[in-house]
Order: sequence, then C-alpha cells, then structure tokens
Amino acid sequence: MQSQSFAQRYLAMKRDRIAHGWTLAKRNRGCYLFLAPYAILFITFFILPVCTSIFYSFTYYNILEPPRFNGVQNYINLILQDDIFLTAIKNTFVCAVIIGPVGYILSFLFAWFINELPKWLRAIAVIIFYVPSIGGAAFEVFLIIFRGDAYGWFNSILMEFGIINAPYLWLTDPRYMMTIVIIVSLWMSMGTGFLSFVAGLQGIDRSMYEAGYVDGVRNRWQELYHITLPSMKPMLLFGAVMAITNSFNVGLVPRTLCGFPSTDYAVRTVVTHLFDYGYARFEMGYASAIATILFVVMILSKKAVSALLGRVGT
Amino acid sequence: MSEINTVKSNGTLKLINGKKFRGELVAGETGAAFYVKGKQEPFAEWHYARMNRMDNIRRGGTSSQITVILKDDTRYVFELAQGLKLYSHMDKNWVDKPVRQKTRGDILHEQAERLGEKIQVPKKHLITRRHPNRSIGGDIIIYLVLFLFAVAMAFPLFFLIGSSLKPLDELFRFPPPVWPSHPTMDNFSDLFVTMGQSWVPFSRYLLNTVLITAIGTFGHLVVAGMAAFVLAKYEFPGGRLFFALATTFLMFASGVVTDIPNYLILSRLGLVDTYWALILPAFAAPIGLFLMKQFMEGLPTALIEAATIDGASRIRIFWSIVMPNVKPAWLTMIIFSVQGLWNNPAGTIIYSEAKKPLVYALQQIRMGGVARTGQAAAANVITVAVPILIFIFSQSRILETMASSGIKE
Repeated sequence: MQSQSFAQRYLAMKRDRIAHGWTLAKRNRGCYLFLAPYAILFITFFILPVCTSIFYSFTYYNILEPPRFNGVQNYINLILQDDIFLTAIKNTFVCAVIIGPVGYILSFLFAWFINELPKWLRAIAVIIFYVPSIGGAAFEVFLIIFRGDAYGWFNSILMEFGIINAPYLWLTDPRYMMTIVIIVSLWMSMGTGFLSFVAGLQGIDRSMYEAGYVDGVRNRWQELYHITLPSMKPMLLFGAVMAITNSFNVGLVPRTLCGFPSTDYAVRTVVTHLFDYGYARFEMGYASAIATILFVVMILSKKAVSALLGRVGT
Repeated sequence: MSEINTVKSNGTLKLINGKKFRGELVAGETGAAFYVKGKQEPFAEWHYARMNRMDNIRRGGTSSQITVILKDDTRYVFELAQGLKLYSHMDKNWVDKPVRQKTRGDILHEQAERLGEKIQVPKKHLITRRHPNRSIGGDIIIYLVLFLFAVAMAFPLFFLIGSSLKPLDELFRFPPPVWPSHPTMDNFSDLFVTMGQSWVPFSRYLLNTVLITAIGTFGHLVVAGMAAFVLAKYEFPGGRLFFALATTFLMFASGVVTDIPNYLILSRLGLVDTYWALILPAFAAPIGLFLMKQFMEGLPTALIEAATIDGASRIRIFWSIVMPNVKPAWLTMIIFSVQGLWNNPAGTIIYSEAKKPLVYALQQIRMGGVARTGQAAAANVITVAVPILIFIFSQSRILETMASSGIKE
C-alpha cells in the first residue's frame, strides 16, 4: 500500500514536471521561433553530418552505388588490416600528446606573462602571438624557410655556421618531418584559447590579489596556483576544447608542407588518412569509420580534461 | 536631495546576503539614493562623503555593474542599464576621494623637513611595482623569455613579408637575406598581371569572396544572435540541452572531420557549386553562438524586463535593445566568421571556375612552382592581410567579448 502510494506520488510528480515544462514551453513559444533558423541550420550542417558519418561507417559506400550494409567490417579492416592506419594513429597520438598539452600550457603561460605588461605593449604582444593562428595560409612560408636546397633559409644558416655541409631535406626526410610539423603546429596553436586566457586574466578581480597578499601569498607561483587558476576555470575549459580540436585535426599542415602522401607515410595522420579515403579513393564508408573513431576519441579527451580541470586549485 | 542635475537609471540592487531588489538609482550632486519599485521612501541613501570606494565593471554598451562601499563597510552592488553615465556623474561629484598613497620617498622627505635637513632621495619610487609579491629577477627572466618567443613567433611572418618584397635576384641569392636590400613591389604588380591574364578575371574572384564573406557574416550575426538571445535570457525546455550540444560541437566545427558527410548533405540539398554551399553552414558556426550567448548573459535582465513591461515585442527588444548593447560581441563574431569564410578555398564544394573565391585563385598561383616564388609570397601576403588587419583594429573589443568566453560546468 505504502509503495503504491509512493509510485503514485512519483508518477504525479513526473506528470507535474511534464505539465510544468509544457506550460513553460507554451509561454515561451516565441523563443522557439527565434531559435529555429539557427537550430535548423545547425542540425543540417553540424549534427546531421556526424550522424550520417556514424551511419555510413557501418556500410560499404562509394557514392556511385547505394550504400551496402556490412556491419563492423570497416572497423575490423581498419584495426587488423590497415597498416597505414596504425601509422596514422601513432602519428596523431604523438601530435595530440605534444601539440595539445604543450600548446595549451604555452598559450596559458604566454597569456599570463603578457598580462603583466603595460597596456600598449600588451596589445602588441597579443597581436604577435595570436596572428599566426588566423593567418590561414601564412604557414606556407615554412616551405621557403625549410626548403631542401641551399636557398632554404634554415639550411643556409646552418651551412653558414658550419653545422652542416650539405643541405638537409627537412620536408622530405622522414627523420625530421614530424618535428617540423609539430613546430609549425605549435606556432599556430596560440588561437582562440589564448585570446580567452588573455581576456580572462584581465577580468580577475584585483581585490582577490590584494587579499591574497595580505593572507601571505609570497610569490607569483603561489598566486598562480591559489588565486589565478581557480578563477580561470571556465576559460581553461574553453581553451582545452580548442586545444583538443587543434591537436586532433592536424592534417592541413603535413599535407601542405610534406606533400600528400608524405615520404614513408612519416607524417600521415588520421585526418590525412580520412582525406585519402574520402576524396582520393571515394571509399566513404571506410572514411566515415575513421571519422567516427576520431569523434569518439575527441569527446573522451574532452571528458578527461574537464575531469582533470575540476581538481585544479582545490 | 535637490531635484536638479540628477542622473537616473533602472536596474537592480544586490545585497551581500544575495537579496535582489529592482528599482531606480538616482544620483545627485551631493549624494545618491536607491528607490525600490513602487516605494516612495528610498531603500538606501548615502552622502558622497560617506563613500569609501566605488568600482565599475563594464558589461557592454552602457550597462555596468557598480559597487559602492561606504566607510562603515556597507556594500551595495548595482546592475544598471545606464551605468556608465551614472558612474561618471557620481565620480565627478565625489570630492572626498581617497588620497594617493604616500611613497617611501614622501615619508623620508617629510621626516627630513621636520628635522630641517636636506636629503637627496627622489620623491617617487625608483621602481613602481604593481605586485608587491614579485621578485625583480623573476620579472626579468619572464620578460626575456617572452621577448625571445615573440621574436620567434614574428619571424616567419616577417620573412614572408620580406620574401614578397624581394626582387628576383635576391630570391635566389645564397645565403638568402631575411629582408631584401632593395625592396620592390614588382611581385605584387606581376601578380596582378598574372591574375589579369587568367581565364576568369581577377575582379570576379574578388567579387565572389566579398559576396560570400559579407552575406555569410551578416547572416551569421543575425541568425546566431537571435538564437543566443533566447538561450541567454529566457528559460525554456530544451534550451540548455541545445546549448550544451552547441558547446560540444565547438570541437567538430573546424570542418575537417565532417567534411565528407557535409559534402554528401550539400549535394543532396542541391547546393553544391553555389555560393550557398559556403554561406549556409557559416550561418550556424557554433563558436559565434557560443561567444554571443556568453556575452549576452552579462546584459542586465532588468533592461529586458523593463522593455517587456513597456510592451515591446521580442523582435523589437532583440533588434533595438539587445543587439546595440552587444557591439563588442559583433566584432568578435565578424572576425571569426570572416576568418573562416575568407580562408576557405572551397576546392571541393564549388567547382565552377567563375564561382571560386579569391583564396582559391591565389592558391593556384602559389602552386605555380619556382618561377613564381615571388608572386606566391605576394599572393600569400594578400590572403593573410585581411583577417589580421581586422583583428588589429578590433582587438580591444574582441578581448572584451572573450572575457565571458568560459565554459561553466
């Protein structure tokens, strides 16, 4: 008897909540109208692609013929038969582990250093650090800097100082390619996250620092850990999302600098692998399986990072 | 309080215990008072002489959060629609501001004066440090590191500009100079000659890009602005979920991963090889919605409520109250949108030569091989310059927007 009344109460509560939600939705009908144009476009061009990608990943699809369901065959082929994919995974992993955290920490450190500068200098410093990331094709200048002949600037400098006596093939020798891709990606990594850090640091309440000083914060590192980082948490999470995006999407830089496909697949990443199967071989099902794996990994990394950030400064 | 020469503003008062009151703050020449809505007697009243400190945090447009701290440590926090005007009025009439703190030099001078001696200590601090808990050694190391990295960051761009100004003989000189000894604009004029000979005239490429960028950015501003407005200021079922989804999709927005399915969808919609293939997805870029929504949350709700009570429709509130007040966020959305659209060569979704954007044409020139090294650098400079210039001119506004960019869990 008791339990039934409990169940009834629970159902009544549920009903109330739905009714309440319904009245709220009815009262704010106009809101849905406002949201609709964006929502329709967003669903069409952002959510739907992800869904179709997941759907096609279970099929064989080459655009010409209609997709044919083949279960998890694509995933099995990816992991068991595609040696190049394993290379790509390894390279992407190296990229993600270096570019993600290092780029993230560097953006924060530089934003923090810049924050101490006088105002006019700060504006210039922000421009210098941020501009490479919005420059789009600006990184193609590295094609000239690291050119493989003696007219390449880097080769000529090293030869001038007698460090090497013949030009090195920086962009086609598998020994150096990865390093250069990482350096260039790091050069471009002070992006939106960096801007968010600069702005966030500006917004921290000055009186918190004064209070901290009175309470015995003795040096900048203590101040950073106990005051700055905890008040920056939302920006840190935003920056992390941006850093994850950057570190897993390394594809354009190796493709442009080292050629496509690169020597010995030395800088083949998951994204260039995807590009290869999608645009060169038109194996859409297979390419979709690669994309799906990338989605899952990115979402998991975001979850991990936000769990990690939850512990900062506590 | 004299009725003449007062400044008023609608807004809310928040007490330390978290209670909020809606009403009006009236500031006169000698003091200020806060009237709760519908009450004749002032809820809080103070003479400027009783004031100890006053802070102002700008929230966008003319709205501000003003904190007033009295000498007896009473603290009032106001969210005001006309905050800027009110703050400057109070600041002007507040004669009893706290005096400048004495420096060590001042104290020594006072002592010397009392004793009738003359000393050689400058009155000012030799080093004025904003943070007392910083070591000078650390400052020097940090500035040095920052300087070195800044040089390293700027070098490639410097090199790029240098290359675009090099005459042919300097492009292939050993060792290659970073900056040309005889800078010339030849590369740029050659570039225009090459572009002039192309099958599709240069002006057509330029028109395509300008059209795509302008329509895409404007539409993005309106469409994402409308969505951000209701998400930030109204509570309705599904709103939070939608925003959480958009935040997650910040990660996939760069388009590399969703490129292929996107192509399939565009072709199903019959949009491939039209300008819309570039423009429509740009309307819905999640980064713009995200930044706009976060920035709009800082707008005082009182502003919208007051307009609603006055009978303004939601469209009107959006267009003539909310949008003018979030101008800094516009600029930020514009730069992100322009950056995306301007830099998108659209190689796969637009194949008619006459509809290709400028970057695509410049990219073809850059691929022209060794003979066109100089022109390639010039083309690169032109492509890169536009987003960078927009950023330089709107930097302070963009930083203002980014201050509210955090993701709250």
